Amino acid sequence: MIALTAVAALALMPGCGGKKETTPAAGEQPAAGGEVWRPTGDEGTVTGKVSFKGQPPKFPAISMDADAVCAAKHSGPVHPEAVIANPNGTLKNVFVHVKSGLEGKTFAVPTEPVVLDQVGCLYNPHVLGIQARQDLKVVTSDNTTHNIHPLPKINREWNISQPPHADPIIRSFSRPEISVPVKCNQHPWMRAYIHVVSDPFFAVSDDQGSFEIKGLPPGNYEIEALHEHYGAQTQKVTVAPKGSASVEFSYNATQAYRAGSLRMMPALVIPCCGGGGTERGASH
Amino acid sequence: MPDEINREVRSTDAEPDPVVDSSLSGPLLIAAVVLFLTMVWALYDELFSQRPWKHYQAQFVRLYTAHLQKVGPRAAAAEKEARSSPEFQKIEQLLKKAEDSAAPKVKEIDREVDGIRRQLAAIKSPFQDVRARIAALTYELDHAAGKAARDSIRREVDEIRKRQMSVDLPADGAGAAVSAQNLSFVDLEKRFNELRTREAQLISERATVTNQARELRRTRNEYLSEHMVGLGPQQIEGLLRKMHGFRIEIKQIHIEEAGLVDRCESCHLGISEPLPLTAADMGGNRVFVSHPNRTLLTLHDPIRFGCTPCHNGNGLATASVEGAHGNYKHWLWPLFPKENSEAGCLQCHFTDRVLDQAPVLTRGRDLFELKGCVGCHRHEEFDRESDALTSIRSNIQNLEVQQKESRLEADREVQRGDTAESNDQAQQHYAKAERLRVTSSNMDARIKELDLQAKSVMQDLKKVAPNLKDVRLKLHKNWIPVWLKNPHAFRPGTKMPRFRLVDQEVRALSAFIWQSGWQGPAPAPQPKGDAAHGKELFETRGCMACHSMGEGNNRAGGEFAANLSRLGEKANYDYIVRWVHNPRDRTRPYCPYEKRDLGPEDYARHGLPFSFGLDRSTCPNDGHELQVQNMTVMPSLRLTTEEARDIATYLTSLKHDDAAYPSDVAFMDDRRLAEQGRQLTSRYGCGSCHEIAGLEDAPRIGTELTKEGSKPLEQLDFALLEQKAKAEGWYNHKGFFERKIKDPAFFDTGREKALEDRLRMPNFELSPEDSRALITFLLGSLDSPFRSEFRSIPQQFRYIPTDQQKDLQEGWWLVKKYNCMGCHTVQAGQHSVLSALPRYQDPDWKEQLPPSLVQEGARVNPEWLARFLSNPAMTEKDTSRNGVRTYLKARMPTFSFSPNEIRILVRFFEAAAGQSSPYIPSKLEPLTEPERQMARALFSSPGAPCLRCHLVGEPRHDRSATAPNFLVARERLKPAWTARWMLDPQMISPGTAMPSGLFRREDDRWVSAGPTPGIFSGYRGDHVDLLVRYMFQLTPQEQSALIQRLPATARTDRPPPDETATVAHSR
Repeated sequence: MIALTAVAALALMPGCGGKKETTPAAGEQPAAGGEVWRPTGDEGTVTGKVSFKGQPPKFPAISMDADAVCAAKHSGPVHPEAVIANPNGTLKNVFVHVKSGLEGKTFAVPTEPVVLDQVGCLYNPHVLGIQARQDLKVVTSDNTTHNIHPLPKINREWNISQPPHADPIIRSFSRPEISVPVKCNQHPWMRAYIHVVSDPFFAVSDDQGSFEIKGLPPGNYEIEALHEHYGAQTQKVTVAPKGSASVEFSYNATQAYRAGSLRMMPALVIPCCGGGGTERGASH
Repeated sequence: MPDEINREVRSTDAEPDPVVDSSLSGPLLIAAVVLFLTMVWALYDELFSQRPWKHYQAQFVRLYTAHLQKVGPRAAAAEKEARSSPEFQKIEQLLKKAEDSAAPKVKEIDREVDGIRRQLAAIKSPFQDVRARIAALTYELDHAAGKAARDSIRREVDEIRKRQMSVDLPADGAGAAVSAQNLSFVDLEKRFNELRTREAQLISERATVTNQARELRRTRNEYLSEHMVGLGPQQIEGLLRKMHGFRIEIKQIHIEEAGLVDRCESCHLGISEPLPLTAADMGGNRVFVSHPNRTLLTLHDPIRFGCTPCHNGNGLATASVEGAHGNYKHWLWPLFPKENSEAGCLQCHFTDRVLDQAPVLTRGRDLFELKGCVGCHRHEEFDRESDALTSIRSNIQNLEVQQKESRLEADREVQRGDTAESNDQAQQHYAKAERLRVTSSNMDARIKELDLQAKSVMQDLKKVAPNLKDVRLKLHKNWIPVWLKNPHAFRPGTKMPRFRLVDQEVRALSAFIWQSGWQGPAPAPQPKGDAAHGKELFETRGCMACHSMGEGNNRAGGEFAANLSRLGEKANYDYIVRWVHNPRDRTRPYCPYEKRDLGPEDYARHGLPFSFGLDRSTCPNDGHELQVQNMTVMPSLRLTTEEARDIATYLTSLKHDDAAYPSDVAFMDDRRLAEQGRQLTSRYGCGSCHEIAGLEDAPRIGTELTKEGSKPLEQLDFALLEQKAKAEGWYNHKGFFERKIKDPAFFDTGREKALEDRLRMPNFELSPEDSRALITFLLGSLDSPFRSEFRSIPQQFRYIPTDQQKDLQEGWWLVKKYNCMGCHTVQAGQHSVLSALPRYQDPDWKEQLPPSLVQEGARVNPEWLARFLSNPAMTEKDTSRNGVRTYLKARMPTFSFSPNEIRILVRFFEAAAGQSSPYIPSKLEPLTEPERQMARALFSSPGAPCLRCHLVGEPRHDRSATAPNFLVARERLKPAWTARWMLDPQMISPGTAMPSGLFRREDDRWVSAGPTPGIFSGYRGDHVDLLVRYMFQLTPQEQSALIQRLPATARTDRPPPDETATVAHSR
């Protein structure tokens, strides 16, 4: 409780790039009461793949004209990373985490920060998971000014400028919150999604569409896969002591679930006049 | 002797004597026991049952002590944690170092001071003796008579000053060594002064030496208090000690001047404890919780305000809970129920439309306006415009009478002067006549002014519901009876209530409404538009800040105005085009003097075209001010005719496929039926909310509610349910309001009444939360002693708003009247309706939200704001856009505010941001040429990428802009705010598109955080200050020079993806 409030109090301080804003209380303390969970050696692993059927949507190439520095970093056209289908019929950038089954457990916050880089006016990685109160370290490899602007609904919003060669920005999110978009107001195409969770058991599907969650205490879990364009899926899984379980998720190109952005679809779906007003946006 | 008598009696009378023969000891014993028990009971009652608070207090001490003991270690742990932090440790180390380095010097000083003090102590006594002696002699010298006497005293003084005396002086150093010395007074005085000077010098030296340590100690304590949440262990220890020494006694607040005694805290002991206490903390006893709203308690310190002025109840009573809470027959001010406790705020804050700390009450007042209660029920504060109009009109009348009087009197004076006996007298009469004429001329001016005010107020006067004179032009004829029967069935949640009409009444009302409507002039016929584009516009121009769309779970948007999901079933396309284009466009102007609407024929009679508006608002027949606008709060969005057509096409396409309406509505043209309908219209008070021909001045049919909460219970009509209410325990104001709002016909239960005698109040179908809010408002609508005459309440207890508070109060009425909060954040922490819509959850749409107005008064120049409010396009031609944020799809509408309302709004924003008025802009240093070069370079440098987001007036660049043009800064912004904003915009408006951290502190100035252009080398000025001055002196020429410096690619023709839709549709 005290630790939480201290973090919140720090978040209130005016932003100064590069300053490490953390508090002693945020170290190894549990979020709210309860013993910190410690591994016993019995932990198991959940591995899996995210398969993908159908043709991924074709997004128009990003125009980086507004900033020559960005354009110079790329040789060919750059496309939005909203859907990246791997050649082996799998989907990249799917966030996989434990949705339920860990209730009542409190986990230590890693002291190692999660790094978000800005390369060629794109975020790297595009999707990342982080524990609440774990440090997020934002670095820049670009020779242009960016601003890092996460748009959370539960956590406090912030927006800090990061000029070229500036010190890393270190911040943290106090509360778990799935799908916090991050944008740069100066390069509006830049987009990352941060998933803030309360435990260390999460992964993001890679170039092969596979993921691995290690160190899970034995038990029954509901595993959730989240994709920014195709939405959420869940699977039940049982992890035996020192065991390993496997989960398969499968997405279909025809099941786009949400707007994603201004460029794709109007977010508001309301009954309309006969003439397909709701789908209109999807056409471009 | 008695024995003998007894025997005698017994012998003479055989009958047993009940007094003599039977023993009384039995009854006596019983009586004694009863008496004894009574005494025990009386004592018990006196000590315990009449004093239930004793029990509460004992319980509180027990529970609170236990709680403190529980939280104590936690506080200690928290303090330990704060102490073990690296920051704290660092301060501690620095402190220790500072203390150590100062120690030797301090020790030395202390030793010397000690020596001095001992010497002073030794000297002091003999020195003071002699000094007193000399002072006495000096006094004698002053009063001595004769030179000889004076000389002798002088000699004596001299002698004393020189006389040697023996003083035991300690040695300089430590130790008890003492040496006796012979010293004269002169020596003593000298030494005394020297020692004192040296002592002062040493003490100040010591302060300098220990200064660093003292500062660090302060920093350390500050760090501890800043990094501890809640109380520290010492404070908790203090509270425990307080509990230990707790005395069981009545705890009361006595405010003598106000005649107030509140003993509430005799039981509610936790109320103002520094430690927040919940029921769970106190073993589930709600009586001991601390006040749930500390802010309120800080604003209204109980020591000064007591408890009952806000909460009601009987503050003196201590014998029972019911008694103290005033929940009995003979107490007129029972405690406000917990869920309506905010009602108490209204005692003083009846003019405050919005109270931050009373959300339920504020919601209740919102509903009173929103649901149209204000149409039928007068409530003083809600009748601002009509009250103002009445008072202005009566003022004008009075002035006209006075003016006539003074003109006549002036004429009489002139006559008197003409016929006066002497020139002097004549002059006096002429002078008086002159004064009267000047007065009369002043009155002319005053009447003109009042006329203008009346015009303003007429412009500001709005109706709750639509103008029914337009029905024939606007509505489908066969929809009207269906709507009247049950508006909630057609449009759930609508403002129009259900009147429980029988079919015959529906038919009669429909016929009257239809026949009283204007036949023309009809709106111009319009070609169809593009419904899909209309939908896009409807969702992005800001319509949904007030209107909702979609039904059931799909419903989204504001509740301020109607849900438009089925508009196509009721409205005519041509009319909706005109309405969407400008809802204030009126079909015919209304003349309040003639009490009728004017048509083309009235204008033609005077050879005038049928044309009227805010600038042509006088009646051609009699020159009086006309009502030239529709009396709706809906503003003009300055749409193009094409856009209006597209939106109207979309809206009129919205209908249920299975909607069925009666085909035979010929009865609506029946004149006899219409006559019945006219009477029903008066009976149901339709004219209170709607503008209806012939009912413009219809009286309100509801009871006045200004003091409804104080109305004696007997005057609330419980009808046949009074006994039931008493038996079931809801015979009180709340019980009445609750049932009346839920079912307005409830109190007709069991009564035999003719149709026309039944209760008229219609059903509003409020949700339980809304009902609670409204009840809170009604319960608080009291005959407050603060409202009119102040009776015996002393000045210091009254709420007397300052000028700024008054500006805030006035402003809030308008902010609510026009639903500013539908689009804008007006209060920190408040979310606008738009910001909650699904569309704006998308990161790309975030910058499309209208600006936050939280610090608007600090941001903008009030003169500019006034101009902006009167014309948000900031231009006379090409008004179909925003004046500042041209990139916003949402449109700041033209509200046609009267000058009066603009003044109120501008002052509101100034007051809300705590600005002193009047605003006098500070003078900015002109830029030198090198400074201009530097600023230009910085503006377009990668380190300060201002132009990536801000508009520059170059269409290709501006397509992706999300911030205002710098050219408007000079007129629009305040320089001090601009500097603050540039330094840390996230501090002022969290989540804004402009990032913080653009500048960093270097020595005593701010410099750009990014790479600084080479031209800056050697520049020592503040970069923020430089940029502010540059912005405020920016000229269009300078801006084009700036654009030339942008990378060429940023100026290429590139339609951003989001614009394609709009481009494709505009014709």
